[in-house]
Formats: sequence, C-alpha cells, structure tokens
Amino acid sequence: MTFVLLLFPSLLAALLAYTVRPYRVVVGWANAWLSLVSLGAALAFAALVLAGSEAPTFGPSELLRADGLSALLMVCVAAVAALALFFSPGLGRESQYDGAQLRRYHVFVNLFIFAMLLAVSANNVGIMWIAVEATTIFSAMIIPLALTKASVEASWKYILICSVGITLAFAGTVLTYLDFVALSGRAENALNWPVLLSAAPGLHPEVMRLAFVFLLIGFGTKAGIAPMHTWLPDAHSEAPSPLSAMMSGVLLAVALYAITRWKVVVDAALGPSFSNQLLLLLGLFSLLVAAFSLVIQRNYKRMLAYSSIEHTGLICIGLGLGPLGVFAAFLHLVCHTAAKSMLFVLSGEVLHRYRSTELERVSGLLKVMPWTGALFMSGILAIVGLPPFGLFISEFALIRAGFAAGRPGLMAAVLVLIGVAFVALLRHSNRMLYGAPPEGVAIGEIGRWRIAALFLSVGVLVVLGLTLPAPLEALLNQVVKVVAK
Amino acid sequence: MYADLFSQLTTLGSSGVLLFGIALLCRRSLHTFVDAFKWQSLVLAALFVVVGHFGHAPELYFVAVVFFALKVVFIPRYLERLARRVSAERESEPYVNITSSLVIASLLVLLAYAITRPVVLASQLPTRGGLPLAMGVIFIGLFVLISRKNALTQIVGFLVLENGIALLAVLGTFGIPLIVELGVFLDVMMGFLVMQVFVYHIHDTFESIDVEQLNQLRH
Repeated sequence: MTFVLLLFPSLLAALLAYTVRPYRVVVGWANAWLSLVSLGAALAFAALVLAGSEAPTFGPSELLRADGLSALLMVCVAAVAALALFFSPGLGRESQYDGAQLRRYHVFVNLFIFAMLLAVSANNVGIMWIAVEATTIFSAMIIPLALTKASVEASWKYILICSVGITLAFAGTVLTYLDFVALSGRAENALNWPVLLSAAPGLHPEVMRLAFVFLLIGFGTKAGIAPMHTWLPDAHSEAPSPLSAMMSGVLLAVALYAITRWKVVVDAALGPSFSNQLLLLLGLFSLLVAAFSLVIQRNYKRMLAYSSIEHTGLICIGLGLGPLGVFAAFLHLVCHTAAKSMLFVLSGEVLHRYRSTELERVSGLLKVMPWTGALFMSGILAIVGLPPFGLFISEFALIRAGFAAGRPGLMAAVLVLIGVAFVALLRHSNRMLYGAPPEGVAIGEIGRWRIAALFLSVGVLVVLGLTLPAPLEALLNQVVKVVAK
Repeated sequence: MYADLFSQLTTLGSSGVLLFGIALLCRRSLHTFVDAFKWQSLVLAALFVVVGHFGHAPELYFVAVVFFALKVVFIPRYLERLARRVSAERESEPYVNITSSLVIASLLVLLAYAITRPVVLASQLPTRGGLPLAMGVIFIGLFVLISRKNALTQIVGFLVLENGIALLAVLGTFGIPLIVELGVFLDVMMGFLVMQVFVYHIHDTFESIDVEQLNQLRH
C-alpha cells in the first residue's frame, strides 16, 4: 500500500498535466502538493526500516522492495522532487515559456520523478535498469523546453551518450543472468536482488569481472563518472533549473545507487578488492577532471555541474573504502543532494533576474537579491566543504576512512584536489556575490516566500554539520549493513 | 544430432547478424543503411524462433513477434520517413573511410573473442559458439555510433548495439524474464521516438542533421 502512495502520485500528476489542455496554473500547484504524498510515503518506509521490520515487498514475484538503502534514496528523491515542483515554471509568476511548453514540462517532469522512484524501489535489477533508462528518455524531452542551438545540442548528446552507456549496463545485467542460468537454471525471479545475492558466491569470477566492468561503465555514464561525464555539464546547464536541481541532486544519486546494488552482488562473488579498486581509480579521475575544469569555468550553471562531478567522484572513493567509507559516502550523498538541489533552484532565480548564465554578466548578487545571494553563498560554502555545513563532516569522515583503510597517498591526492576545487569555486562565486550590479538589472527579490522555503535546505545542512540525528545515523548504519557486511 | 543442428543453426544465425552489422559499415546511402539494419533484425527475429523451438522456451515465439513488429516493420519504416522528411539521402564523409572501417571491424571481432573467452568457457550451452559474435555486434554498433557524423546513422548504430545485446541475451540465457523483456521493448520504442523527435529539432535549428555542427558547448 505504501508503495502505491510512493509511486502513484507522480503518475497521477503526469496524467493530470496531460489531460488538462491548455495548461493551467492550478495543475502546477496540484502536482506540487501531490509530490508531498510521495515524500510522506518515503518517510514511512524509512520509519519502517528503522523499526527493524523485514524489508517490505510488493507486487507479483516481489517486484518492489524497500530496505535501508532504498528507503534512504526514496527520501532524497521525493524531497528534491517536491522542492523542484514548488519551484517549477508555471506556478503563477511570469515565465518565458508558453502554455504548450509548460504542459509538456509538467507531464514529463512527473514521469521523470516516477522513473527515479521506481528505480530505487525496484527489487528486480532488470526493472531497475528499465527505470534508469526511462529517466534519460523523460528528462531529455524537457531539456530543450525552448529550442535553441545549445539546448538541442545538449539534449542530443545527453540522450545518445546516456542511452549507449545504459545499454552497456544492460549487457552487464545479461552477462550476470547468463552465469546465473548456467549455475541454477532459468527462474522467473532470478533477477530479484536478494535471489541474485544469495546465488552470487557460486558465480564464475571471470564472468562477474567482465559484467561489473560493463555495469560500472553503464551506470557510471549516468552518474557522471569521468571519463564518461562529457554530457553532464551541457545537460545540467541547459535544462530548466528545477530539472537541473533534480538531475544534479538526485539523478546522479540514483545511478550511484544502481552501482552500489551491483557492487554488493559482485563483491559476494569476487571479494571486495576488485570493485573497490575500480571505484577508487574512477573516483579519483573524476575528482581530477572536475577540479581543473572548475578553474576555467565561465558559466555558473556549468560550474555547479562540474562540482557535481567532483562530489560523484568523492562518493565513488567512499564506496571503495570499506564500511567506514560507505557510511561517509552515503552521508555525503545526502548532504550533496540538499546543497546542490538548492543551488540549482537558486541559479534559476539568478538567471531569471540577470538573463544570463555567464559568470561575467553576474555581479553584486548580494545587493540585487539579498536573500537569494545569502542563500547562494551558504550553498557554495556548503559544497566546498566548510563548517558548519554537513559536507564538512562527511568529507572529514571520508578522509578518515581512507586513512583507516591504509591509503594515505590517495587521501593526500584527494585533499589537494578538493583544495583546487575549493579555491576555484570561491573565486567564481565571489565575483557573482560582490561588486557593483550590472546596469539595467532590477533590484529586489522575485518571490520572497518561496525563497524563504529554501532556508529549510540550509537548516538541514547546518543540522547535519553540527550533529548526526539519531534516525539518520540508524538509517545509514542500515545502509552499511546492506552494502558492506 | 539434434543438439548439433541447434548449435549450427544458432552459430549460422549469429554470423548473419554480425555480417549485416559489418555490411552497415560499407553503406553510404541512408536507404541501403536502413535496409541492412532491417535484414539484421529479421535474422535476429528468426533466431528467436530457432532458440524458442530447440531450447523449449515457448515465450520466445511471442518475443520474436514483438521484436519483428518493432524492429523489422515499425522502426525501419519510421527511419525511411524521417530520412525523406529531412532530405538526407547521402551522408557526408564519415570520420573513417570504408577500408579502414572494415579493418577496424575485424579487429573488434577479434577483441570480442578475447574478452568473451571466460564466458564461453563457463557455459555448457549448445549456443555458446555465438556469444563472441554477439559481443562483436555490440562493438560494431558502438563503432558506427562514434565514426559517423549523421544523427540518423547514429540512431541506427544505437539500434545495432541493442540488437547485439538482444543476441547475447537469447544465446546466453534463452531469453531474459518476460517482464524485463517487455520493459526493454517499451524503452527501445520510447527511446527511438524521442531520438527521432530530436532529429527534427536538430534539422530545424541547425538546418542539417550533420552532428559536426553540434559544437556550441565547450568546457
């Protein structure tokens, strides 16, 4: 039942947006409020897991399942989806889009949310794959809401690169199933994650190695791991800001979730060292590419996108460092989701006022929009990892996990690269925040009450920086129990 | 004898799928390009029936019918229409000429044999001889994707890549669970429809579907 409450609202919202023609403001609001039902269901799953109940399942041959790892991701996805929907275009204020574009946006954004929620609640890894592939298709439809050369280019690269990547992940899935069939015959529920996991110790190590390489390249493309990240800055910077918030805040997390699910199976077959080494290597490479790309950025939305690659890299490194690292990685994932979704939503406000995504054209943000500016500043301070925000704690925990795992050299490299990103991000954002506002830019906030809602995100980040709330700690411990026994 | 026939038929079929994949590399006009893809899909659909019969997996007949409808009838017809609408009969010079393409294709097939060795060794199936060929089709699809400059040919490259994975699945497992298979078909169809929408978008905004022009976004 809770599964229905989790998944159905977004489908209903998409249907509503599809049937009401032409687009009406009330549809946008109805969709936004509906998303809170999903959020409630996600929180209910988290509570269920914390109460220590067996992972609930649903549907024929246990199609859906919610353990600690799923519950954590459900909460992240549903929360960011609600945030993005409340900040979506077409909720009353003037917007640059016409009715048809708004209708298309509201249909596909809700389908996109549905696909992400399905991906993290699917028990069958085949269904999980289908849902991740569907996220690409639905989001690609609304990246070029207004057709420009840049947005068409970005979405073409996005759909082509991600579809190919994700198809390779399917090859990995097939290879695993092939080995499973060779071991214990054909079975309808063989792709269910727990069944796969219990059979994993008997699978052939050579086949599983090959399968994991395909899976990591495939889902890694979607997660923005370098060198498969080339679509990411384009798509994230050209998409409408609420969509960027979801793509950067949670879509990357969903892809990392898929990698984590597979890592558990592969580790059961091979022992953890193979997947750990690959994750550490690609994580470090992502961090390297992102840090130096940040230095040369001239566009603030692309700057935020490269920062997402940086944090994806950090999370991969955490996943490769054993139980302590996994704990830090998922704490980092939660903090990054809170910070980056807020920053992309704010970048939409900045774009609305300055009419440009060029760093050069934006200055004096603190004078032009004091509240937006202050929130933007705290968001930047959070993602560069300064206290009192949550990412400081999670990065610290991650570095400690690295030293505990006996990898001081790697951690030194990570620290240097985080330092490079730190300097680059602060330099760019100082340009935006201070100085004289350019001529012709009106002074004043756009929507004061809605901006005030973002203080909730800052609140979450500060709380996570000062203390680790007991329910979250318990949930993260559940995740560690699932991922690294 | 019976098992022999099965393994011979599947190896023959897989070779056919691979050959039509390689044939794509020598085709320059979009019409013959789409034709080669159609024939490849047809051979693959027939292979589904063969495996369904010999492997005692009757649901594969159903999969074969859906596959036929989607990849032999629906998608090629749409591609032809798309090619006519955007009037892209011939492709501009690809990044790699035909002779080098064929050399690279043969190297890719060798690579496919090398990396699927552990899978073939682990398998007892009569169909295992075709597994490296399936991997070869996957690689050739990837190669078409990266060596061509035309948005339409890139879509075909992507579809060939998917054919390769379908071949891998049917040879290695006699078909993945039906519900997953149906979801995959749904994704393929939606993905294809969205991609063809983008071909129109590219055509409208850039006035050609040569993807070399897509170079606005840097760094």
